[in-house]
Amino acid sequence: MDLRDKVGLLIDDMPEMRSAMRIQLTDAGLEKCDQARSIKEAIDRLKEKRYDLIVCDYNLGQGADGQQLLELVRRKQILPLSTAFMIVTGETGYEQVSTAAEYAPDDYLLKPFTADLLGTRLGRILDKKAALAPIYSQMGEKGDRTKALVACEALLANGGRYTLDVLRLKGELLTTLGRNEEALALYENVLQQRSTPWAEVGKARLLSLLGKDEEATAHLQRTLTAYPNYLAAYDSLAHLVGKTDKAAAQQIVEQALKVAPSTQRQRHLGGLALENKDFERAESAYRRAVEKDRTGFFKSHDDYSGLAKSCVEQGKTIEALTAVKDMGSAFARTPELEARQAAVECQVHVKSGNEAAAKLALEKALKVQQSAKLDASSALEIAQACFAGGRAEEAKAIIQSVAEDHHENDEVLAKAQGVFAQAGMEDEGTVFLEATKKRMFKLNNDAVAMAKAGQLDQAIEMLTEAADRLTNNAQIAINTAMALLMHVHRNGADLAQTKRAHAYILQAQRANASHPRLAEISGLYRKVAPAGAPPLEDV
Amino acid sequence: MAEQIDALVAAAIHDAKNALMALDTQLGEIERRPASADFAAARATTSRIAGQLAELLTLYRAQGGQLRLAIDDHDLHDFIDDLLTELGPLPAGITLDVERSAAATLGSWAFDAYLVKLALLDALRNALRQARAHVTLTLQAAPQGGICFEVADDGPGFPAAILGGENAASTQGTGLGLSFARLIAERHATPAGKHGHVALANRPGASFTLTLP
Repeated sequence: MDLRDKVGLLIDDMPEMRSAMRIQLTDAGLEKCDQARSIKEAIDRLKEKRYDLIVCDYNLGQGADGQQLLELVRRKQILPLSTAFMIVTGETGYEQVSTAAEYAPDDYLLKPFTADLLGTRLGRILDKKAALAPIYSQMGEKGDRTKALVACEALLANGGRYTLDVLRLKGELLTTLGRNEEALALYENVLQQRSTPWAEVGKARLLSLLGKDEEATAHLQRTLTAYPNYLAAYDSLAHLVGKTDKAAAQQIVEQALKVAPSTQRQRHLGGLALENKDFERAESAYRRAVEKDRTGFFKSHDDYSGLAKSCVEQGKTIEALTAVKDMGSAFARTPELEARQAAVECQVHVKSGNEAAAKLALEKALKVQQSAKLDASSALEIAQACFAGGRAEEAKAIIQSVAEDHHENDEVLAKAQGVFAQAGMEDEGTVFLEATKKRMFKLNNDAVAMAKAGQLDQAIEMLTEAADRLTNNAQIAINTAMALLMHVHRNGADLAQTKRAHAYILQAQRANASHPRLAEISGLYRKVAPAGAPPLEDV
Repeated sequence: MAEQIDALVAAAIHDAKNALMALDTQLGEIERRPASADFAAARATTSRIAGQLAELLTLYRAQGGQLRLAIDDHDLHDFIDDLLTELGPLPAGITLDVERSAAATLGSWAFDAYLVKLALLDALRNALRQARAHVTLTLQAAPQGGICFEVADDGPGFPAAILGGENAASTQGTGLGLSFARLIAERHATPAGKHGHVALANRPGASFTLTLP
């Protein structure tokens, strides 16, 4: 692999290391290479330009590291899968880097190394990226997972050295598309030949998706005995065990944190400790999340909110209010921030018995809520404040709209259930959320039935009303587009209707880029869209 | 285990001291005649000591319960390439044959490349020291599942005591390398409960086999 026509980005906070590394990269043949001194610079560069490869030091200063940066940019889709990411580390950092998490670097290199070795290793990962490019190109935000699977099949048919990598991607794709039995069979096939951590964890995830939680738990426990450094196994196990036993889940996250520190895991630990009423541990976990990350890129509103709650539960009102204030200086001013601060402040005042101040804060939170469309976490925080402030009906109304908007998103629904639990209404919450889910299923089913019965206009009316209200609900947006396209198909080319369908498909993409039905609706769009209709790029 | 490590520490310090003295001589020669073969010898000496200290550190961490393997898929062909690059030039008059056709069928395997590389480098250096003319490195699929790396030479073979299972910290160099290889082989495990292992044999030269599950 010739590095001369490749474009690289070097990320390191130490100027002398950066220039030494730059010389080695040039010696290895990489001539075009930008540099970034910090997380902020790295993210700015990645947003404005497409790179072939990133070389990033593990230790980035200010409590930040290359692994967390990688997770952040892959999760936010700032860094496409086709870009190679290499982490460079000293020998002492190698255990932390080599702990494969959900987002692992393509390679890591231990210092010191020669320019020759650097060149060889970069060449290898770029060769692999090039071979797998047909799959990656369909795995991005606007990719078509079904086409990615076709690309997997083509590569598997050719055999070759990347077979195992292709199988790994194929397993992930099948899982995303909800083809659970096929995905499980794939992992079991791989495991018949060899044991490898990703296939063990993949198998466990599928067992759980197929309703076999006990088997999945036992499998993950065995996996961790063999691969105690494999973070993805801790994360899956904590998630699985946490469904029924928060105390056990807390222990698992504690273990994962011993393997490798991360702000996200501190937050997870804090949340579990709060639920377990282990307020001291919750406070220390959130405090670490807040204090360790001095870049501000990895912490979230949740960390300050959790810190405030764990403090006030221990009677530390001043510390709790300080956390609320600090939240304001750590993040950009947005309606979400304002809502969060007011809602958490209200809860702190309720706990410490300051009714007047609590009332004032709650009014403020509700005012923000009425004037802006908030994200799910902020809205649920306000709901929690409403419960605390004795306004249960408003709390339920907020939770209902959040749950309708995210009825396929288990994470949001679990958060909503947590709000009920905090208010001591666990059973009522379960019933309430179950009913909401059922209502959403019914709405979708009714619309489909109406459309089939020929009442297409009524179906469209019902669905567009819901889709315009519930902009985060991919399912509804897809069904709305479906009904509109059926209308076009039946009644002849109608550019206005087609454009509306187009907009709803984009809405579904924004809500959930890996929704299993996106491929189907995009296919239908291409089939029936008349000339002059907006194209669906890359879908 | 603590006593054994103490003995290994003593042997490693002794070895490192001798190696540093040899290095000093080699550097002196390089100073006199810059483009000499001593340069390669000096580099070989430094990487040998660095490798031994890394092994010792690993044993020490294992004793304190702090050793966690980093298992990930590695392409076997590339891995052997890296191993040979790190091994550097061979001593005069010794050849090394590498048999790795199995890498094409196996593709990648999941193991801790850093630790396995240390163990194999040590075994290879040892074999190169003991060989009369010839060393072989062979990669194979293990009959019971797993993979094995065999390092064999045409030298005098292992002393009877080592074949009998002693770690022999006092005999030159081999004690540490063997303890290390056994430790990391055992630590390579699968969720189904299989473990790696090390096997020694004389046929009639020394044969060292590291099997990974």
